[in-house]
Amino acid sequence: MRTCVILTLFFFFLLSPSKTFAESPYVLPYPSAMPGSIFYRLNLIQEEILKFWYFGDFGQYKYNLSQSDKYLVEAKTLFDYKQYLLAYNALQKSDNYFKKIMPAILSAKKNGKVVVDKENTLREAAEKHVEEVVKLKSNLPPTFEWQPEKEEPRTLNFHESFDKSIELRRETL
Amino acid sequence: MNFLVPIFIFTLILFSIFTYSFIDINLSYLKILYTGLYLNNRLPLTVVYTALIFLLFGCYYFLSANLDHLKINLNKLIAFIVLAAIFAYPAVLTFDIFNYITTAKVTFFYQENPYIIYPAELLNDPYLAFTRATNKTALYGPFWILLTGVPHFAGFGNFILTLFSFKVFIALFYIVTVYLIRKLDKKAAFFFVLNPLVIIESLVSSHNDIVMIFFALLSLQFFLGKRYVLSFLSILASILIKFASIFLLPVYLGMAKDVIIGQKINREKLFRTCSILMFMIFILSPFREELYPWYAIWFITFTSLLHKNKFLQALVLVFSLGLMLRYIPYMATGDYFGNTPLIRNILMVIPVIAFLAFTWLKKYFPSR
Repeated sequence: MRTCVILTLFFFFLLSPSKTFAESPYVLPYPSAMPGSIFYRLNLIQEEILKFWYFGDFGQYKYNLSQSDKYLVEAKTLFDYKQYLLAYNALQKSDNYFKKIMPAILSAKKNGKVVVDKENTLREAAEKHVEEVVKLKSNLPPTFEWQPEKEEPRTLNFHESFDKSIELRRETL
Repeated sequence: MNFLVPIFIFTLILFSIFTYSFIDINLSYLKILYTGLYLNNRLPLTVVYTALIFLLFGCYYFLSANLDHLKINLNKLIAFIVLAAIFAYPAVLTFDIFNYITTAKVTFFYQENPYIIYPAELLNDPYLAFTRATNKTALYGPFWILLTGVPHFAGFGNFILTLFSFKVFIALFYIVTVYLIRKLDKKAAFFFVLNPLVIIESLVSSHNDIVMIFFALLSLQFFLGKRYVLSFLSILASILIKFASIFLLPVYLGMAKDVIIGQKINREKLFRTCSILMFMIFILSPFREELYPWYAIWFITFTSLLHKNKFLQALVLVFSLGLMLRYIPYMATGDYFGNTPLIRNILMVIPVIAFLAFTWLKKYFPSR
């Protein structure tokens, strides 16, 4: 009887069709205002002001991480709505903010601050970001010919951009 | 009645010594003075506290009732009071001073924005061991944060020096507030300077409410002296220390109206309105957190200027006493919850109810 149960369980796990991913516990924010909205412009102004408000090493760490999160969510949403150029730019903005996080941590370390918790959070955030970008990569073509109404067409190298974003985040893992 | 002054000062000295029974076990900087009394002898300590409070308020009652016969120089009185209370251990009733010190450290030592970074984020900082509410960002206005730079730097990174720099810094505001009140009314200054609640909350516990009220009072003085820009800047400074003084703004509208129509500002009416408004925000404070005794400084400052109203003065005195009794349940049990909030409120209102009942009985059954 016991062998029967073990065998059944074994086959159940073996034949289970779903793939499981280890998901990061890091929670990304809700999408904020999207391009085209009046609030989006206000958000851009707020973003510039907050850059100064978030002074200090930990302040800069928080600011850059939150902006990187925000733009990643924005990119994700815009890709969903096939607003590829805007989405592409948002992802690049997210990357730019992400690049500034590590220097803030290093500066904090240099100034004698304990950064263990900040490094852990950054690692979790990076894992989450990678998860999201990988999902985007699997759902989108490698390149896309963006054809604006009154401008020259432009090739958007999605996969190249995604790879860059993933690489950038993996450096912190 | 002059003999009461030394008794009052001596009781204050005893109170200051008594405060050292409450040194926090985690406060390594004062380890040498740690006794652990507050952990194992709560009840006797509560009895001592209650006795000292009653003694101080008893002296205050008789001194304020006989101010005309009092032969003491105000400067000397202030000096004695400040010297008697300044060396007290400040975290006997609340831990706010540690919060001021740690927030100043976050700002000026770590150079982080205290409205974004809370102290607990600065792991391994030795002050975290005894600072409360370290999971909160700065609780006070930006002007207060800026002002704390003075005692922070005066401490040269030494905790004990910083602690007493903060105490001295806040005591200076107590002194200048008394002088501002004296400029308006000499007698009122005595009512204010002798109030045990004002002394304990400003000089022992070192709450920044005295700083907020100084700038509010300074603003009124400037307005009365027709220096309107300075008046505006002072009230702004007060609001940017603690937002409670924003409740004084209607007073400025009233004064502005008087100035515009060329009417003389009625000072009695002005201080009465200030007292009412500050009392209103005091009563509303439980909606935000709870009724803290030191918030009473907001209205006591103005009610002391209405000293001709004997009933009001007596009412403020018994209410101040009731507020100081609020500390008893926690001191006795070490528990903030359970019956503590209820007993705290009962203890607060008992002196007021007793006083009102006594006044009523005296009115309807006058002694022959």
